[in-house]
Amino acid sequence: MREQREVIIMTLYEKIYKWLDDRFKLGELLPPIVKHPAPVNVVSNPLYCLGGTAFLCFLILVVTGMFLAFYYKPTPDEAYKSVQNIMTAVPLGSLIRSIHHWAANTMIAAVMLHMIRIYFMGAYKKPRELNWVVGIFLLLTVTTFGFSGYLLPWDQLALWATKIGTGIAGSIPIIGGYISLILVGGNDIGAETMTRFFAIHVLILPAAIITLLGLHFLMVRIQGISGRL
Amino acid sequence: MALIEIEREEAVEEKEREPVRVTGLPFFPHFLLREVVVMCLIAGSLILLASLYPAGLLQPADPFTTPTPIYPEWYFLYVFGFLKFWTYDIGPIPAKVIGVTVPMVLWYGLLILVPFIDRNPSTELRKRKIAVALGVIALIAVLVLTYYGIVHGE
Ligand code: HEM
Repeated sequence: MREQREVIIMTLYEKIYKWLDDRFKLGELLPPIVKHPAPVNVVSNPLYCLGGTAFLCFLILVVTGMFLAFYYKPTPDEAYKSVQNIMTAVPLGSLIRSIHHWAANTMIAAVMLHMIRIYFMGAYKKPRELNWVVGIFLLLTVTTFGFSGYLLPWDQLALWATKIGTGIAGSIPIIGGYISLILVGGNDIGAETMTRFFAIHVLILPAAIITLLGLHFLMVRIQGISGRL
Repeated sequence: MALIEIEREEAVEEKEREPVRVTGLPFFPHFLLREVVVMCLIAGSLILLASLYPAGLLQPADPFTTPTPIYPEWYFLYVFGFLKFWTYDIGPIPAKVIGVTVPMVLWYGLLILVPFIDRNPSTELRKRKIAVALGVIALIAVLVLTYYGIVHGE
């Protein structure tokens, strides 16, 4: 009985494989990925894991962020209460919010260490100059993610740290005034600011980081990992 | 991260056109297994950290009481530190403008230009003494300014 079922599953698996193979030529696509040797120096050196670690954190942030967005309410009246609700009443809410928090900090640390590895290994040199430039924009995006997320719980630290932060951005000559007006949306941090920070955190920056990561990985794919060490 | 491995595979393919033979084990199952182990370790550490140190929530925001101390997130502390540290006007430029422009605009501008400033093709640490020295100085400076930012929190 059991063996019979296994046979059926096998043929079903084979049927699915054949169906996909007919359409996507899996037989040609998979072997180079699955069988080719990976160079020992790149794979055994943990410093090469930092980019992947940042990416894993990013994926965790996307999933936990979607969960948080189900319960979070981006208005000054509701925000604090909704976060409190997540922390105390929503099943696993406290764990998921804390994972979001730690994945965010770990991602920023991993990105910085990744950049330090690139710098000291000289991996930004020809032909990888543009990937370094994309990397710097990724660094900016990631830290802005952190900055915009900090305001959302609307507690004392959120409000006052954002006051200082937008103040600092506002003192940049020429463009500073515009940056702070775009971010704050008025004279003082309030409902306008929250809406904007929320939009930046869940719409604008995700779109930006997906585009940049696409470029980043495309370039790594085309150029390969530099073979130093 | 398996995806990243796939990208690493491409790197090997590039290299294989050269006469040098890459020594290595097949991606599957050896390195896939290693990737899965690393991913589990990271995910596990995050869950552990999240359970031991849950994300905080202070008093509700109150525009009329300033709490003390206020810290920005750790990765902005160096900006904050530089702002506190730099109290000198240069000619007509006020200290505050310098304190903000240097760690934000100049610093990021400099970072973007790194591959275009450093034209030395070598990737050997010993053959790029200036780049390595500047890198170490920049790292120490950021760390010291971060410390300064912590000590001088508002
Ligand atoms: C969201 C942030 C980032 C992610 C997820 C990411 C991911 C990756 C991954 C997975 C690789 C493959 C090699 C490795 O893992 O070490 C890579 C390579 C590279 N990254 Fe990033 N990266 C990010 C940010 C940055 C930053 C901030 C820089 C530099 C300013 C940078 C510059 C580079 C360069 C030049 C390479 C090619 C390295 C080589 O060929 O050895 N990346 N990145």
